[in-house]
Amino acid sequence: MLEKQAVPRPVEAEGHSAHPSPQALREMHLFLRLAREWDLRFERLVRLGAVSKWYSAVGNEAITVAAATAIAAGDALVSLHRDSGAILRYYVDASRLFPDQFPPLPGRRAPPTEPRELLYRLACQMLGKADGFSGGRERSYHYSFFHEEAGIIHVGMISHLGAMIPVAAGVALALKQAGGGRVALNFIGEGGTSTGDFHEGLNMAAVYKAPLVLIIQNNGYAFSTPSSEQYASRTLAERGPAYGVPGVRVDGTDALAVLRCASEAVARARAGKGPTLIEAVVGRMRGHSEGDDSFLVLSEDERRRSLEADPVLRFERTLLESGAVTHPYLDQVAKRCAELVLATVDRALASRDPDPSSLPGRVHAG
Amino acid sequence: MPVKAPSDQVTYLEAISRALRDAMREDPSVFLLGQDVAAYGGAFKVTAGMLEDFGPERVMNTPISESGAIGVAVGAALLGRRPVVEMQFADFISCGFNQIVNVAAKMFWRTGRPVPLVIRCPAGGGAGAGAFHSQCVEAWFLHTPGLKVVAPAFPRDAYWLLRAAIRDPDPVLYFEHKQLYRRVKAPASAVFDAGGGSDGRDGHGAGGGGAAGPPPRIGQAATLREGEHVTVISYGWTAHHALEAAEKVAAEGISVEVLDLRTLAPLDEEAVLRAARKTGRVLIAHEACLSGGFGGELAARIAEKAFEHLDAPVRRLAYPDIPVPYHRALEAACLPSAEKIAQVVRELRGW
Ligand SMILES: Cc1ncc(C[n+]2csc(CCOP(=O)(O)OP(=O)(O)O)c2C)c(N)n1
Repeated sequence: MLEKQAVPRPVEAEGHSAHPSPQALREMHLFLRLAREWDLRFERLVRLGAVSKWYSAVGNEAITVAAATAIAAGDALVSLHRDSGAILRYYVDASRLFPDQFPPLPGRRAPPTEPRELLYRLACQMLGKADGFSGGRERSYHYSFFHEEAGIIHVGMISHLGAMIPVAAGVALALKQAGGGRVALNFIGEGGTSTGDFHEGLNMAAVYKAPLVLIIQNNGYAFSTPSSEQYASRTLAERGPAYGVPGVRVDGTDALAVLRCASEAVARARAGKGPTLIEAVVGRMRGHSEGDDSFLVLSEDERRRSLEADPVLRFERTLLESGAVTHPYLDQVAKRCAELVLATVDRALASRDPDPSSLPGRVHAG
Repeated sequence: MPVKAPSDQVTYLEAISRALRDAMREDPSVFLLGQDVAAYGGAFKVTAGMLEDFGPERVMNTPISESGAIGVAVGAALLGRRPVVEMQFADFISCGFNQIVNVAAKMFWRTGRPVPLVIRCPAGGGAGAGAFHSQCVEAWFLHTPGLKVVAPAFPRDAYWLLRAAIRDPDPVLYFEHKQLYRRVKAPASAVFDAGGGSDGRDGHGAGGGGAAGPPPRIGQAATLREGEHVTVISYGWTAHHALEAAEKVAAEGISVEVLDLRTLAPLDEEAVLRAARKTGRVLIAHEACLSGGFGGELAARIAEKAFEHLDAPVRRLAYPDIPVPYHRALEAACLPSAEKIAQVVRELRGW
């Protein structure tokens, strides 16, 4: 009985022990940059009044991009509001986007979709346009996209935090029952871990040994509330063992460390061993939403430190140090990503608005 | 084990069990989730024996997690499975409210992705079970676009509406009144007969045992009894009280039309208006409490669309606006009954 009473320490993951090929590293970098440019563009559009609200994912890229690098076409993604990095990584095949620079990665199953068209639809979705995935009915990341032939099973969020965890557990359960070793990846903020659904969803996934990888993006604040007022345990990862699942804590600014943890969790899930809880710790580089003053809740020192710990720059430094890339290479990728995002979003801005005569639409499928 | 009705009689509960079994046999994507539904067969034994017959992948106990279970069901339904979730008591559905009204109900409109999900809810009072095992909570969900809500009163409807609910691409809340489980029976031939004819009326007749037309579909009310003077609109257990009341006042020369809604959402508005216009005197009776109850919505629609046919104010008979009291005498004072319905019918006739 002693065993049951002892609270196991979460595993502290070490960084840099994954050894992706230089090509895989460059690909991951592409998506880190693309995600960064994506969010920067929409942050600007908020200031210009073209988007009503934006929860910036700047600072979260190393978690989301790396985690989605650990899954493949055919796996499922259940995303929240700061997961643009995961969505871009999951939807887009780099070798179709920039074939001159990114040959198909051996061993990685990427979705056979036309990336520019998907990015355009995604931009339209962000802008509430008719060509968005929800046709203007729903805002930003509150949509779903299923393209089963391409292996895309993407369930978007509802606003209510925590609610998607049981849904992700159900998606994982259905994948398990279908056989084939597919998994579901789901994110939650540390604030969202205080909901009842976090408990119910993770517990059910554990009981059913559902192939779920649940990643907490712990950026220290939920809107204005610091994590000290959110939970009293030392870490969130230590909740994992309490549910009978591994709890792993990782530096969320270290894309390689996240990739390693997420890959292990995915392998575990594929092998039928059930869910893993990962707590990825990051600084907050932005406020809660663009245009509010919640960034000022952080001390000046804290703001400076989290901006310095920029995960995209960190990864670029790592690549430079390892000799995998050069400065001109990084400049070129950044330029390509910025131009692609600009062109895509401009096209979306000029696209059709939804037609009010399409309301009420069908609330029932049958 | 389910209580066996004598001879070829099928109880309401057996009709529900049979619908689950038939659906599971017919469609491998159907599976059951719920507290104690597996080896134990559920609090009311509706799923008794199903674990043995269908295995642990299709008959799954859940932890005491209504939100978790419904959320899991939504996730599985999004991937094309057809989960049927049993609430141990309808009352506990409050713990899964958000998953129903915000996740499941809005999914198709928001994303175009259907959520074929059924939530079975053993509902209603009359058993001295107190405030948390007795409620009729359907109105909570009738205010939410995207859901379908059914409340069958007879074994034939129970069977076919559950079959239809499981086949339906939308989230369906299936309210089964616990008082009907073992009390209401009908001949197996009438319950399961897929029937013929194509007039859209199922003609199960009073008591649900009559000649079979086509099976009922979701969204179709049924005329349980034809009448000239007063219309009583009801559903669930209360529909049985309405029939009994009609019988009572018939002896006094009052002829009552009884309409059983069977489905609350989508509402068979045509049937409601037809029944209201026919007599011009309408009583709506339900066990759910008065304020914000479905009777108010029906009364409003009748007032808007059949006003010129009315000879009396539309009346409502419902639970008082209090929690369900425990002592049987207190509870009986609150529940609708044949006598209470008969009394309002007499008053309406006197207008
Ligand atoms: C159930 C619920 N309550 C309140 C909110 C309002 N809200 C939106 S985001 C947010 C903070 C979320 O913090 P966290 O989960 O840590 O994620 P972060 O935004 O920091 O990434 C709150 C309170 C909500 N969306 N859902």
